[in-house]
Amino acid sequence: MGALALTLLLGAQIVYLRMSLRRHERLEKAVIATWRPLLMAAVADAPPADLPALPSRERIPFLRLWLHLHQSVRGEASAGLNTVGLRLECDAIARGLLRDGNRAERLLAVLVSGHLRDASAWPELMRLARSADSAVAMQAFWALVQVDAEQAMKEMMPVVLRREDWAMSQVAGILQDAREVCASYLSDALMQLEPEHLLRALHVAEALRVAVPAGLLAALLHHEDAEMAAAALRLTHDPALLPDARVHLAHPDWRVRVQAAKAVGRIGDRSDIERLRAMLGDREWWVRYRAAQALAGLPFLPPGEAEALVSTVDDRFAADMLRHVLAEREAR
Amino acid sequence: MNTQQMIVEFVTWFVLVYFILLNGGYLLLNLLSIVSLHRKGQERILDDLPQAYSGLEPPISLLVPAFNEEATIAASVRSMLQLAYSELEIIVINDGSKDRTLDVLKEEFELVPFPEAYRVRLATRPVNGIFRSTRYPNLRVIDKVNGGKADSLNAGINASRYPLFCGVDADSILQRDSLQRVVKPFLNDATVVATGGTVRVANGCEVSGGFLTRVGLPSNIWALFQVVEYLRAFLFGRLGWSAVNGMLIISGAFGLFRKEVVIEAGGYRPKTIGEDMELVVRMHRLLRSRRQPYRIEFVPDPVCWTEAPEDRKTLRNQRIRWQRGLSESLAANWGLVFNRNGGTPGWLAFPFMVLFEWLGPLVELGGYIFMAIAFFSGLISWQAFAVFLFVAIGLGILLSASGLLLEEMSFHIYPEPRHLAMLALVVVLENFGYRQINSWWRLVGLYRWATEGEASWGAMTRKGNWQRKV
Repeated sequence: MGALALTLLLGAQIVYLRMSLRRHERLEKAVIATWRPLLMAAVADAPPADLPALPSRERIPFLRLWLHLHQSVRGEASAGLNTVGLRLECDAIARGLLRDGNRAERLLAVLVSGHLRDASAWPELMRLARSADSAVAMQAFWALVQVDAEQAMKEMMPVVLRREDWAMSQVAGILQDAREVCASYLSDALMQLEPEHLLRALHVAEALRVAVPAGLLAALLHHEDAEMAAAALRLTHDPALLPDARVHLAHPDWRVRVQAAKAVGRIGDRSDIERLRAMLGDREWWVRYRAAQALAGLPFLPPGEAEALVSTVDDRFAADMLRHVLAEREAR
Repeated sequence: MNTQQMIVEFVTWFVLVYFILLNGGYLLLNLLSIVSLHRKGQERILDDLPQAYSGLEPPISLLVPAFNEEATIAASVRSMLQLAYSELEIIVINDGSKDRTLDVLKEEFELVPFPEAYRVRLATRPVNGIFRSTRYPNLRVIDKVNGGKADSLNAGINASRYPLFCGVDADSILQRDSLQRVVKPFLNDATVVATGGTVRVANGCEVSGGFLTRVGLPSNIWALFQVVEYLRAFLFGRLGWSAVNGMLIISGAFGLFRKEVVIEAGGYRPKTIGEDMELVVRMHRLLRSRRQPYRIEFVPDPVCWTEAPEDRKTLRNQRIRWQRGLSESLAANWGLVFNRNGGTPGWLAFPFMVLFEWLGPLVELGGYIFMAIAFFSGLISWQAFAVFLFVAIGLGILLSASGLLLEEMSFHIYPEPRHLAMLALVVVLENFGYRQINSWWRLVGLYRWATEGEASWGAMTRKGNWQRKV
């Protein structure tokens, strides 16, 4: 009887969920029907003079629709949406949700506050950005960057470098909006960072294509940690660092040799042809591959010379790799 | 009390306790899944908003083993080429097909021989040649001597360029954003080594251009039973174990792996049927013994759709194969249980699998037969028999219903009320015959594993009704 009762209870729950879903869907449809044309008008031209009232039961579906459109537009279109948002007091609604909402509502409110660049939400966003909840914290950080990039960098960059649970791809996406500020922060801060944060900072710099001071890179290129040296090599674009990069062509760690081959390919001179040719016989496939790519991509190599190199290498693996890379280039 | 009565009483209690533990264990997993799904539901706003790429997502190699797939391979590859992801390469491995699979690929994708510097990191059967598409630079085809699915995947791993690889069945129908979804755990946690997504039954659905366009329920009763079965298996079987990092299976139809860890574990084990599960269990064993922090995660989003067998014979063969695969995977990795650092996968998930999935059919069928005989010959009371029916069938229905509840709580894949009504009916019906037949097939699988040698690629009769909609 117990199982039967429980099963019936589950059945009732399923029916309730389905009915509640339908209710939400109907409400969402009604909100879209009313508000989508108005928001589209705000995106395309100017917000309508008269806006209907936003009943409290329609607030959440409206904010979802508003956010959806916001994520798809930029520039003036985005400003139009913000005008509508502010006229409907979405900033105050979002602040209320940040304070009292459940987790889903807080996430929604964080996104809304960010798009509205609501400075009044700063303390609450800052609190959430420092919380242990990875998803909420990262979105709150993004909102802070949208509100005031400079201040956000100043207060949050140490957190960004510490939080390994924030995906670098998403961090880079967020920081793209504040690239200049971030570049300035990194160039000042890199020298003073603790080693455990330095590696992540270098990854951020690489992701944002921020130039790292040559002096620091030269020091990092000789760092005893292979990962650090490899990260520094990835950022090496200055020919002045060529001698430091060349040293790593014989590094015991293959990951460093790979990056060294790529760096030499970028900034090397004619004398590096022989060095890269020697690397085609490396025991590690990736080193051979990157060395072959570096050789074939040397800007000063006359047409046909890379092809001619194939017949000059004795090592079968080296010749195979060169043929492979040349075929790849031809296919592009 | 005489000896016979003692034996009857002992067996009766054994059967009852076994069924209570079995269903109780699954109900516990169900609770873990509810917590996970609730948390995921709160983050839905992030998934629903338009996604932007930063270009820093880890690139993925999609490995597609193909054996005699001339009818469907071109459509499958075309749909995979349309997957939404920032950097992706597709490697089709023609495993010595006897039909025109390779010719179809050559014609459809304008393949030309490619002088690949092929790197052998995992031993495989010889590779005859590697081709590259002149139309799609990210598509390559490996033509190799037949060696089975595991061998093909190993060849694909050897040729892959990227740090993550995703093994996909050639006949799988993927969601356009499936890779975006299964890669997420890798982005947020550097210790993640593998992720798997939910596989759903495609029968009854409509497919256009290689993608699912309308969800429906199959009219075939065998396929309908499997819809509920898949809900149960994925939504609380795997999600529950994933919550405690004890997931031992990632479906071969769609799973994303960190390549270096797979290579360190030795790659897929050739000549096994359950190569997908065996690899995951072996990865657990390796990483546990190294005391390396890691996570193997399950993504509950429906990312992959597959055609379920619609006739008894094909379904029977599939289940026999699955049970043999399970047996191989567990028998080859007993070390995980006895590992001093076995943790949840070694000390909880593995014994659970052994007791309730591996030996399950033996005890379940034995229990049904014993209780029926004992009741009809008057050896046990009707009360004892009623309790048995309650725990075996009543709790079974409860479990299936909770699978449906999880689906309704999270994804609402089946949109129409009649779908829901039909699934509710199947939830009850499958406990009267289908599950018992399944146990019988699994028992046959267990027997064959114990008595027979190696098995090969399973031939499955596919109706491919959805293909007509292409």
